[in-house]
Order: sequence, then structure tokens, then C-alpha cells
Amino acid sequence: MAILEVKNLRKNFGSLEVLKGIDFSLEKGEVLAMIGASGSGKTTLLRCLNFLERPTEGQIFVKDNVIFDSSDARSLGEAEIRKNRLHFGMVFQAFNLFPQYTVLKNCTLAKELLAQERPDYKSRKKEIFEEIREQGLEILDKVGLRDRIDYYPHQLSGGQQQRVAIARALMLQPDILCFDEPTSALDPELTGEVLKVIKGLADHHTTMVIVTHEMQFARDVSDKVLFLDQGVIAEYGTPSQVFENPTEERTKQFLERYFEN
Amino acid sequence: MSSISSNPIESLSTGFIYNLELFALTLLLALPLGLIIMFFTTSKFKPLAWVSKVFVWIIRGTPLMLQLFVVLYAPGLLFEIPMSNRFTAAVIAFVINYACYFSEIYRGGIESIPKGQYEAGQVLGMTRSQIFFKIILLQVIKRIIPPMGNEVITLVKDTSLSRIIGIAEIIMCAERFTKQGLIWPLFSTGLYFLLFNGILTILFGFIEKKMDYFRA
Ligand SMILES: Nc1ncnc2c1ncn2[C@@H]1O[C@H](COP(=O)(O)OP(=O)(O)O)[C@@H](O)[C@H]1O
Ligand SMILES: [Mg+2]
Repeated sequence: MAILEVKNLRKNFGSLEVLKGIDFSLEKGEVLAMIGASGSGKTTLLRCLNFLERPTEGQIFVKDNVIFDSSDARSLGEAEIRKNRLHFGMVFQAFNLFPQYTVLKNCTLAKELLAQERPDYKSRKKEIFEEIREQGLEILDKVGLRDRIDYYPHQLSGGQQQRVAIARALMLQPDILCFDEPTSALDPELTGEVLKVIKGLADHHTTMVIVTHEMQFARDVSDKVLFLDQGVIAEYGTPSQVFENPTEERTKQFLERYFEN
Repeated sequence: MSSISSNPIESLSTGFIYNLELFALTLLLALPLGLIIMFFTTSKFKPLAWVSKVFVWIIRGTPLMLQLFVVLYAPGLLFEIPMSNRFTAAVIAFVINYACYFSEIYRGGIESIPKGQYEAGQVLGMTRSQIFFKIILLQVIKRIIPPMGNEVITLVKDTSLSRIIGIAEIIMCAERFTKQGLIWPLFSTGLYFLLFNGILTILFGFIEKKMDYFRA
């Protein structure tokens, strides 16, 4: 059973067609690396999955449940969108940590707010918060920041901030974790620590969609590679298929340009 | 009107009470009114946004002194309901004027918050109001404290403009002594302003320092 299935996803901005019918699926525990030139629509695709953009057309299924269907006349309300988007986690290129909260609070805040909707919130508030805190500590330990829990984002390096952002996304235990060029805003010497954390997640079979320009990393970490070109999937397959035996001329050209450098 | 004292210090202090009252009432009312005006100018309902923007433009583009006269005389001359109390007129003019300035500061503060902050909250399943109150608000406050500090200090000094519609504020009180050939009361008024603004400067410095623990 596919954990994620995307069918005929299209997205226009006014008259600009950015996504021109995207179809793919992802199995539980798989890592999908998404590559492609700047402007090909990678970010837009991730944003559609996270309901930050509303697709013009298409369907999105998670575990065989429809979570978006453009042909369904009733438009989703805020509450429903909130519920559906929790299937996905998102790690942004620019981290987007909350500057006024500590590392730990960045991780626990959303979960604490969601807990307010639990029926036992009032009676068990203290225990619930303690559980969330414990979980936050555990996850921060996993990304190697257990000793930075009381720091504020501006006191951390870019690599540390991005690891906090990954921990923050993991807190809500999303079915699919999305990364939008997680190392593009980092100094080269800091990319390694972030990629290592993502690799660790892959080894533990976290289902992920990773947009990246780190070709070597994409090859190492992914089970499937998707090459997006001008809003269409130009190539799709295992890393060895795509990187070693690309069938399309444009894939070859794209890869040559990257491996030249 | 306060009874005129022949003791300069007593007279100036009585006058300064008017400045302080006008200051306090303006702040108290203009801070929330500015928020409402900001909601209007940024409204998705275009006619409302347009009308309120023109209003803000007029208030910011004309002298406060003119607005004081308009508030004092227009109700009587145009609608035959004369403004019964000059101090009330002064408060109304000041509140409207400062609310417009505050609304622009609020708007600038909110617009300066990166979109990514909202999106990070959204993908974490937060509601719109949770995003505003838990994430955005404090960052906005931190950003608007310096411009608000400037505006508040300007307000302290502007309160003296109310003499133009006959409020016996501190400089008007000092002028009476100047006419009798006594200059030092006039200079002394400056000390009142300096002292009060000194306190405000320290207060704003303190608030800024309180929020120094994060960068936004
Ligand atoms: N909000 C938007 N409004 C209009 N055009 C947009 C918007 N977002 C992205 N685009 C356009 O969509 C195209 C794809 O952008 P994007 O998804 O960011 O590409 P990538 O992440 O692959 O570099 C670009 O041409 C970009 O200018
Ligand atoms: Mg992008």
C-alpha cells in the first residue's frame, strides 16, 4: 500500500503553469529525492503537499484516504486543512524557527497547542506537558542538540538551527517528512551535520520527500529519484537508474552540469 | 480653567497637569484605536481599506494644529452642536492624529515579519489565532518598540499645541510671567519636558532590554 499517492497534480499561478500534471507514489519507509533545475516547480510541489498552496487540479491520497481532491466541490475548511496537513511535516530552506522561543520550546509548542484539543487536557495538563517535554528532549537528543535545549535560535549556527527545525517537524510524527533544499542556506562546512541527521532518519525508515541539489547525497540516501523539469516529471526511478542510466536527454544534461562542478 | 497662581512654580506645575492628562488620555485611547484603523487599512474589503487609507493620509498630511481647530469649531459651525469642552476637543484631535500614526507603525511591524513564520506555524497545525498570538505578536512588539518610543516622546512635546485652542498648558502658563518681564519660568518649562521624556526614555530602554533575549 502506498503511503502517499499524488494524481495529476496541477498548479497555475495566474496564467503561469508551474506544475503540469504530476503523478507519483511513495511506499512507507521510502525516501524520494526530488531534483531539478531552479524554477522547475520543486518547491511548489512540496507546498501543495503541505497545503501552503492550493493545487489547481489533482488528488492527493495518504494511506488511501483522500486528503485533497480538486473535483470535490466542497472546499476544505480551515479545521480540515489543519488536520490533513498534519500527515506532512515540512523543513524549510530558511529554517523558520520561532526566534522568541528556546530550542526546546520551538519543538514542543505546536504539540502543546494541539493537546488543548484533547478531552483530558484540563484534568491532565501537567502530565501531558511533561510527556511532551520528554518527547522533545528525546528527539533533540537524536539530532544531537540535547545540550542546546535552552538556547535561542540566534545563538545557534545555521546547521544547528536546521537540525532544530528537523526535530520540530518530527515532534508531530508526520507520515511523510518533506525537506525543501535543507542545506542550501548553509555554509558548505555545515551541510554535513544536517545531511547526517537526514541520513539517520532514512536508516530508520522515515518516509521522506527531499528536494536537494546535493546529488551525491540524493544518490546515497534515496530509494527513488524524481527529476522535475519545467513542471513535469522527466525521469523517475531508482538512484542507479536515474543517475547512471538516464533515459532522457534533458536528465543527462542536467546531471552533467552538476557533476562537472 | 485653573485659577491663575502668582507663584510661577505652582502655576507651571498646574499647567503641566494638563499636558500629562492629555498625554495619558491620548495614549490610552490612540493605542487601541490605531489597531482598529490598521485593521481597516489592511482590510480585504477594498472600499473600506481605500477610505481609511485616504483618512490616514489626510490626518498625517495636515498639521495637528489645524486638526485641533477643526475638532473645536466644526461641530458647532457645521452641525450646530458646539463642542462644549475645549479639553475634550483637544483629546479627540490628539487621539485621532496619534491613532493614525500608530496604525502605520503597527502595519509596518506586521508586514516586516517574514512569511516563513506564518508558514512554519501553519505546517505545524496551528490555527490562525494561535499563529498570531503565539508567534507573530511578540516579534511585532519587539520591532515597533523603537518607533513607538519616538512617537510617544513627540506626543509629550505636542501636548503644548493644545494652547492654540485655549488649554492652559504649561507653556501658556509660563508666557503670563514672560509678559510681566520674567523669563526663567519659560526656560523652566523645558525642564519639565526634559525630565518627563527622560523617564520615558529610560522606560523604553528598559522594555527594549527586556526583549533583547531574542533576535527578530
Ligand atoms: N506564489 C507564486 N506566484 C507566482 N509564481 C510563482 C509563485 N511561486 C512560484 N512561482 C513560480 O513558479 C515557478 C516554480 O517555482 P518553484 O516551485 O519555487 O521552483 P523550484 O523550487 O524548483 O526552484 C517559478 O517560475 C516561480 O517563479
Ligand atoms: Mg525551490
